[in-house]
Amino acid sequence: MRSLIANAALALILVAGPADAHALLDHAEPRVGSTVSPPPREVSLSFTQRLEPAFSGAQVYDASGARVDVGRAQIAGSVMRIALKALAPGTYRVRWKVLSVDTHTTEGSFTFRVGP
Amino acid sequence: MPDRLRLLPAFAALALLLLPDQAFAHCFVGARFLPATLNTDDPCVADEMSLPTVSKFKTGDDPSAKELDLSFDVAKRITENFGISVSQTWSRISPPGMPSVHGWQNLETAFQYQALKDAGREFALLAGLVVEWGGSGSQSLGTDRFSTITPTLYFGKGFGDLPEAAGWLRAFAVTGQFGYSFPTRRTTMMIDPDTGDISFQNNPNFLVYSGSLQFSMPYLKSNVADLDLPDFVNRLIPIVEAQFQTPVANNFGTGIRTTGTVNPGLIWVGDYFQIGVEAIIPINRASGTGGGAMAQLHIYLDDIFPTTIGRPLFASSAGASKPFGN
Repeated sequence: MRSLIANAALALILVAGPADAHALLDHAEPRVGSTVSPPPREVSLSFTQRLEPAFSGAQVYDASGARVDVGRAQIAGSVMRIALKALAPGTYRVRWKVLSVDTHTTEGSFTFRVGP
Repeated sequence: MPDRLRLLPAFAALALLLLPDQAFAHCFVGARFLPATLNTDDPCVADEMSLPTVSKFKTGDDPSAKELDLSFDVAKRITENFGISVSQTWSRISPPGMPSVHGWQNLETAFQYQALKDAGREFALLAGLVVEWGGSGSQSLGTDRFSTITPTLYFGKGFGDLPEAAGWLRAFAVTGQFGYSFPTRRTTMMIDPDTGDISFQNNPNFLVYSGSLQFSMPYLKSNVADLDLPDFVNRLIPIVEAQFQTPVANNFGTGIRTTGTVNPGLIWVGDYFQIGVEAIIPINRASGTGGGAMAQLHIYLDDIFPTTIGRPLFASSAGASKPFGN
C-alpha cells in the first residue's frame, strides 16, 4: 500500500510542469502611488513571472475616465510597457490584467500623479 | 524491474488523463489576495496543503493540561467552484502530575462551494459543510464517538474599493466564517468506572464563528503606494484572528459559556508557500490558561504543480480571455 502511494506521488511529480507562480506586480515606473514630473512617456510594469502576451494588457485613464494610453502594450518576458499620450498635471490610474505562462490570471490597479 | 517501477507508467498515464485544460488561482479576488489564515478558513476553494500547523497551549480544563497539536490539511478542487478538504490532527495532552496521552483527533472533512467572487468589490463568499467523523480518532484522547456536522458560511472582503482618499486603509481586509454545529447523537451515555452508575450527558449544538482583520503589505505595494521597502517586508501580512464557539441548544447541564481565543500574528507570503505565526490568547478561563502559540507552513499546490494536482479535476473548457475584452 505504501509503495502504491509513493508511486502515485512520484507519477504526479513527474507529470508536473515547471513550477510557475502567479504573476504579481513587482514594481512599476512611475512607481505605485508616486508623484512624477515631468510627465512620463510610458508606463512600465515588471511582474514576478513571465507573461502570455496575447492574454495580458494594461490601460491608463485620466481623472475623467478617458484613456490616455496609445497602441497595444508591448510585452517582453515579464515586463510590459504602455505608451502614453502627452499627460497634463493630474492623477492617472493604471489598470492591468495578465496571464502568466502557467495560465494563472491576476489583475490590479494603481494611481500615480503628474506634478506641475 | 521491481513491481513499483512497473506501475509507474500506469500512474503517470492516469495523472495525464486527469489533466484539465485550464486552471485559476488560490484565493485571489480581483486585485486582492487573501492568504490562508491559521484559524479562519479563507473564503475560496483551492488546491493547497497545510503541512503542518503546530500549536501549543494550555487547555481550559481544571487543572489545565498542556496540549501540543500537529495538524495536516489538504484542500483539492474537484471543479472550478467545488472543492473538498481533509484535515487530521495529532495531539499530545499532558495533564499535571499524570502521564501524557497522545493520538489522532477525529478526521475532519469539508465540502465547499464557491458561491460568489466579486472582483471589483474584492468580495468572496463560500458555502461549506464540515463533518467531523465520530469514532475515527484515538480512544486514548477521549474523542467523540459521534459525528458533528457544521454548515458554514465563509466570506472575505478587501477594502481596495474604498475611495482613493482612504489611502492605506485600502490595504485592509477582513475574513470570517459562521457555522452551526450539531451532533449526530444528542446524548452520550457515561458509565462511572468506580460505581458502575450510568448517566447521560447532552451533546450541545454550537454556534461556531471566527474572523480575521489583516493588513496586506503586498496589496499596499502593488495597488496603493510602493514605499520601496525590503522585499521581505513587502510580503508580510500582519493579522489578528479571533475564534469563538457558543453552546446554543441541547446544552442543559453543560454550560452556556462562550469559549474562544484571540490570535495576533504575522503571515509571510512567498511565491509557492506561506508561513504564519500567531499567539494564542484565551478569552476566559474556560478557554485556556496563559498564552500559547501556533505556526503553519502552507503550500500552494496550484503554483507548484500547475498542470497536475494544482488544477481542478474537472475544469471548464472556456479558454483564457483577452484582458479588458479587447
